[in-house]
Amino acid sequence: MSASKKPRVALVVGSGSVKCAAALGLWKSLDKAGIPIDMLVGCSGGSLYTAGMALGFSVDETIQKTKMLWNEKVTEQKNWRALAGVLFPKLFNNHFGMVSEKPLMARLNSVFGNKTFNDTKIPLTIMATDFQSGESVPITNGKIVDAIRASVAIPFVWGAHKVGERLLIDGSVSDPMPVDIAIKEGAEIILAMGFQSPISPKIKSISRYAFHINSLITNNLYQSNFSFHSAAHHAEIVPIFPDFDRPIRLFDTDQIPYVIEQGEKATDAQIPYIRKLLNL
Amino acid sequence: MKKRLSIVIGSGGILCASSLGLIKALQSEGIQPSMAVGCSGGSLYASIIALGIDSEIAQSLTIDLYKNDVVEGYTSNLRAAMTGETRFTESSGLVDDKVMLERLSIAFGEKTFKDTIMPLYIVATEFYSGEAKVISSGKIVDATRASSAIPMVFPPVKIGEHLFVDGAVSNPLPIDVAIREGSDLIIAMGFELPIRKRMNSYAAVTSHLNSLYMNNILKSSFAFYNAASHAEIISILPTFDRQIGGFDHHQLPYIIEQGEKATAEHISYIKKLLDN
Amino acid sequence: METTITPGKIDVIAVSGAIDALTAAELIAIFHKHIHDGHPDVIADFSQVEFMSSAGLRAILASVKEARSVGGDFRMANPSAGIDKVLKMAGFHNIVKIYPSVQEALASFGS
Repeated sequence: MSASKKPRVALVVGSGSVKCAAALGLWKSLDKAGIPIDMLVGCSGGSLYTAGMALGFSVDETIQKTKMLWNEKVTEQKNWRALAGVLFPKLFNNHFGMVSEKPLMARLNSVFGNKTFNDTKIPLTIMATDFQSGESVPITNGKIVDAIRASVAIPFVWGAHKVGERLLIDGSVSDPMPVDIAIKEGAEIILAMGFQSPISPKIKSISRYAFHINSLITNNLYQSNFSFHSAAHHAEIVPIFPDFDRPIRLFDTDQIPYVIEQGEKATDAQIPYIRKLLNL
Repeated sequence: MKKRLSIVIGSGGILCASSLGLIKALQSEGIQPSMAVGCSGGSLYASIIALGIDSEIAQSLTIDLYKNDVVEGYTSNLRAAMTGETRFTESSGLVDDKVMLERLSIAFGEKTFKDTIMPLYIVATEFYSGEAKVISSGKIVDATRASSAIPMVFPPVKIGEHLFVDGAVSNPLPIDVAIREGSDLIIAMGFELPIRKRMNSYAAVTSHLNSLYMNNILKSSFAFYNAASHAEIISILPTFDRQIGGFDHHQLPYIIEQGEKATAEHISYIKKLLDN
Repeated sequence: METTITPGKIDVIAVSGAIDALTAAELIAIFHKHIHDGHPDVIADFSQVEFMSSAGLRAILASVKEARSVGGDFRMANPSAGIDKVLKMAGFHNIVKIYPSVQEALASFGS
């Protein structure tokens, strides 16, 4: 790295549903230490917080909004048409999800409104997956709400989301912690926060079975991508992997304060090292 | 010293039969591998290579295995599992594996890893943890059956302490095994799973998503093995210019031919690397 | 394997033949020398590369890392269909800027 130029810092927050709220703790910690971020990349749950940071929300404001956005009400409304489609294939379509997207969209709209990628103060990339081809699709323009809605389209929970011509689903199907975006765009220091998917020990139904297999593959994908990206990056990737002493599942929203705290702790531990890398 | 050449055959269902073309192309140049590694559909052909089974028998095994009756009962069992009429647990599958086991037994009989003429390694996935495991002892039928236990379709297989599911869930093209076991040159034949355009059922979307996931894990692990190891890896990625269905055994000659063609493109470089 | 350097605002290094265990070290040396000779930005024209093993992929990564560590970038142009299939399988499109033509690669440095 040339000594004269300040290294470019990217923050990548990977998928992990409720666990992604640890990014709020990370954000607090970076704020306290005065670490500047030049580029943000988010995937799935991680897209919510990177979008908030990019738009210049304050961390306290975002913590409040998170509690409002991410609670059990978001998933309680079932999508009866989709459920019926399981048994009667004629009712089935590609926009398939067991949970109605209405409560989610209403909440996302109340937080992000009509904001677009042009409104961001820091360049932002949100990662989704092309439902047809399985390729990763980095989104860098259009409405933030659409990008997040696509990026969090967990298979079978929420249906796919159409953005432009493409039908998009959860970014974690292709790139659960998209460090590659930061590498390609020339970041030197990459702060990478990522999470493993929880694995259910008991399987009682075929949909649980499908979920279990998805978790196994996402975890394997996350690990092998991280290995490859670590081997491919010329400078530093600082992993920030918070520890949780309890299982945090898909909709354990009451655990959010604990999750934030663990995110802050994990980041605090890396701050001295990050400061050194940045000559701060 | 003679260079150690390993063959790794990845997952890919009936497309894995392309490896019969690979073997043909190598044999015509007098090139002998010294190790075979396989995953999922590829485990069958790795076993065929390691046991020295001839091409005729290998082709008739392929035709028998990719007949519709191997997955009989799938649709009705799926419906029953979805409605909750039948229980679905970690040991369940939508298809009875009796037919598949019978067909595998015709080719592999009671043969074990001890009967191979070169080391053979088969990769499967530990069901609970998702970790890739290498099977290198016991009956070939059990190992290939475990390695190709397509999630939800075939029941996972218990071998020793572990319950195993399809190797493609963790390591679809297990080049790492060939690296670890010692190879001077690795020929890796890999396949992306074909992707369907239209989906009009829950089962179709589930299998589509599994294909997307497995293709992504294939690319990701392939990237890492190439970038991070010092082994010399030659990738042979056959291309197919027509749709090949999961049970399209009528396309077998074409599949083998494409494998032979893809190998022929690289053969002069392979010879040079082996001779050097 | 052979290389030809076409100097310009950004130098283009055209590679031909095979990049494998027998040639990769030489290629890495050529790229590194060029990068450290005051050309941190470089374009590799891959149109004439006929064969590439893992050693070739690692040579690309080594050159990308070298260029970026001195503040430049190593970008690729015009790989043949066969070579591009390997690049795609190995996820290289996600970490390296790869363009269909030398012109487009040159233009990418303009912005």
